[in-house]
Amino acid sequence: MDYSKQIQDIAAKLFAEGKIDVFVGYRMNGFDDNQVPVVINDPKEVPALVFTEKSVFNLSNYLKADHTRNKRVGLVVKGCDSRSLNLLLTESQVKRDNLYIIGIACEGVVDEKGQKMQNCIECIVPDAVVYDEMLGSPRGKKDYIVNADIAGLAVKGLVERREYFEEIFDNCIRCNACRHSCPLCYCAKCCIDQETATIYNGSNTASSAFHALMTWSLHLAGRCVDCRNCEKACPSHLPRIFCINRTRR
Amino acid sequence: MSFSTFVTDKDGLQKLYEAIISKHETYAPVEKFGKYDYKKVSSLKECDPDSPIAMTMSVKPLFFPRASKIMKYEATSAGTSIHETGQDQLSGPRVILGVKHCDARGLQVLEAVNKWDYIDSDFLNRRANTVIFSKRCDKADTQCFCTSLDYDLENLDALDVAVVSGPGGKVYLQARTEKGENFLKENLGKESAAGSQQALDEMKKQYEAFAASFRLKMDYKDVNEKMSKRFDSTAYEEATRNCVSCNTCAFICPTCHCFKISDEKIKDTGVRYKSYDSCNNVYFTLEAGGHNPRPAKYRRWRQRSMHKFVYYKERFGVNLCVGCGHCAISCPVNISIFEVVNHVAAAPMEV
Amino acid sequence: MEEVKDKIVSIEKPELIAPPEWKPVIVGILCNWCSYAGSDLTGTSRTQYPPNIRIIRVPCSSRVDPWFIIKALQTTADGVLISGCHPGDCHYISGNYYARRRFLVTKELLKMVGFHEHRVQFSWVSAAEGAKFAQVVKKVTEDVVKLGPLHLYKKENFSK
Repeated sequence: MDYSKQIQDIAAKLFAEGKIDVFVGYRMNGFDDNQVPVVINDPKEVPALVFTEKSVFNLSNYLKADHTRNKRVGLVVKGCDSRSLNLLLTESQVKRDNLYIIGIACEGVVDEKGQKMQNCIECIVPDAVVYDEMLGSPRGKKDYIVNADIAGLAVKGLVERREYFEEIFDNCIRCNACRHSCPLCYCAKCCIDQETATIYNGSNTASSAFHALMTWSLHLAGRCVDCRNCEKACPSHLPRIFCINRTRR
Repeated sequence: MSFSTFVTDKDGLQKLYEAIISKHETYAPVEKFGKYDYKKVSSLKECDPDSPIAMTMSVKPLFFPRASKIMKYEATSAGTSIHETGQDQLSGPRVILGVKHCDARGLQVLEAVNKWDYIDSDFLNRRANTVIFSKRCDKADTQCFCTSLDYDLENLDALDVAVVSGPGGKVYLQARTEKGENFLKENLGKESAAGSQQALDEMKKQYEAFAASFRLKMDYKDVNEKMSKRFDSTAYEEATRNCVSCNTCAFICPTCHCFKISDEKIKDTGVRYKSYDSCNNVYFTLEAGGHNPRPAKYRRWRQRSMHKFVYYKERFGVNLCVGCGHCAISCPVNISIFEVVNHVAAAPMEV
Repeated sequence: MEEVKDKIVSIEKPELIAPPEWKPVIVGILCNWCSYAGSDLTGTSRTQYPPNIRIIRVPCSSRVDPWFIIKALQTTADGVLISGCHPGDCHYISGNYYARRRFLVTKELLKMVGFHEHRVQFSWVSAAEGAKFAQVVKKVTEDVVKLGPLHLYKKENFSK
């Protein structure tokens, strides 16, 4: 899965035709084979764009940033990214006319160790659902696979589950990286940001982690598109997807 | 003043660790969800003092907790009563095993700000009552640049005992402070052989091999100077455009020390907490009237980089950044402060 | 997904046994138009019900944000009862449908992190059902008494 060349061509063409102001893609991080997202507004930087199975971060997250607001944006989306983008469109957060979307028929991305991401194994719709241009051959819908970890946790007793989650809340450092890297958390004032929190007062205690993570999970219940940006961003490596996935209906 | 170096082997080190754990309140890296954090341990099996640098959280929370109670208050009809939380009761020295050198250096750097202006006796007490056993890394991680900064890693006295693994399964225990020396003598006993000049030479050779394994190298003096002249550089905007303002870098940084005060109250009683804050947060500088001096991402990044490499240096004479690379490792989009400051330093001067 | 049935007393924290003088605290969040009026009727018709419930009046059951429940459980409450109009009878046309959907998700999540399902309960009580309200409160109180005091995720129980 290497669409670097095509993406560079499309981006160069879009810039030349004046169709976009900003392009959001990936570039190599410069020292190993991992990639970082890049926001470019200069056609000169186009040759740096790449797309391989290491392109992990969900780029629709950048649509809520200052650099792309009220601008015409070109961006690359995988299956899961396009689902979150679709939700942003449905909830009127971005204008479809402002976007030029390069959809990818995704074959699954890999993490830093080279293993296929768990959510890619379970992905039902690997093709982009909203796009102007599709790269790769569509793979169609797959069958739903129940996450083994969640299923395993659900059949455990209350005590085990309590212990498991207490550990999660105890290890949370309350940096809110999950909320900031979630493409669907676009509220200007978030109820779990410490400074704008309304009900609890935002100290970095484990009890506020409990409150914040629970509330956050509930706000994403039924909206979460399983891109796992939160899990990738978490500095404590907490598997918080358990909270959310359970509430998907 | 020079301190002694003891030579032992892996078994000897294990025994020493076990003896320490049984005798003292000991903290060591414990693995949870693939990430190591310093926790209180009761046996050597639970922890791993050789934890990899990239996967280990900073030791800072043991000195400056993520959230600490400042006081409790109670409002009654008779008036408001305030109970200040006293200092922690420390019984004898506590020991931290497996601290990375850059992390220990972070504590040393933080001492300056904790002694300045308001004296944070909690932090200083904890520091005085702690014996730090370091573990020198054998190899640098991709994001490390500790050798490029203004401290001598080989003779760093921010830690009390440096544990260095040598050739042939040998382990050197080098005391770096008086506290460490006394502690080692007390716990090792007389029989362990003190290191000779040969041991020191071997350690030096190993250090050179370690220093050669760094990917990132810079001249910090040059960076300091250039950054202070490029305050208005557009390079900040270019280098940090993909930042998601997630605050992670500040929360895991071994030297970030900004905090916020918050009250948690139920009915008439409440607790006042001091907890971490991050200058990358959009609300960090938001004023009550609604004005925000640093609304844009690059301005917050400029503040962060300038604080690490210019402002702290101006006031206390040392760089605040210790080059551990934790921020770059934990960053969801892998922005490295190393790259940002070098990008700025290399940028042309604004006219 | 298979349901887990736990029937032991104080299942969430078995090592803690209720002291004899313990009385449960139940927070009742009631809709203004039906359940609150229903509880009023219970009072005026002098029906006895357990005094452990603390009632909060809200305009509609859909006003209940899930964090009300979380906050209540985290601070003082041992159980939470939410009560609204019968489906179709909402004063605001469809508020209680939203409430029902939201509540199902909340309950699922709370169950997942280790709360017993009887800690948080939902019921429909109309303004004319004074006797039913007494019954509901009685049932909730009994359930919570069986479970014992809630120590789970309480503020003071966290190590940090």
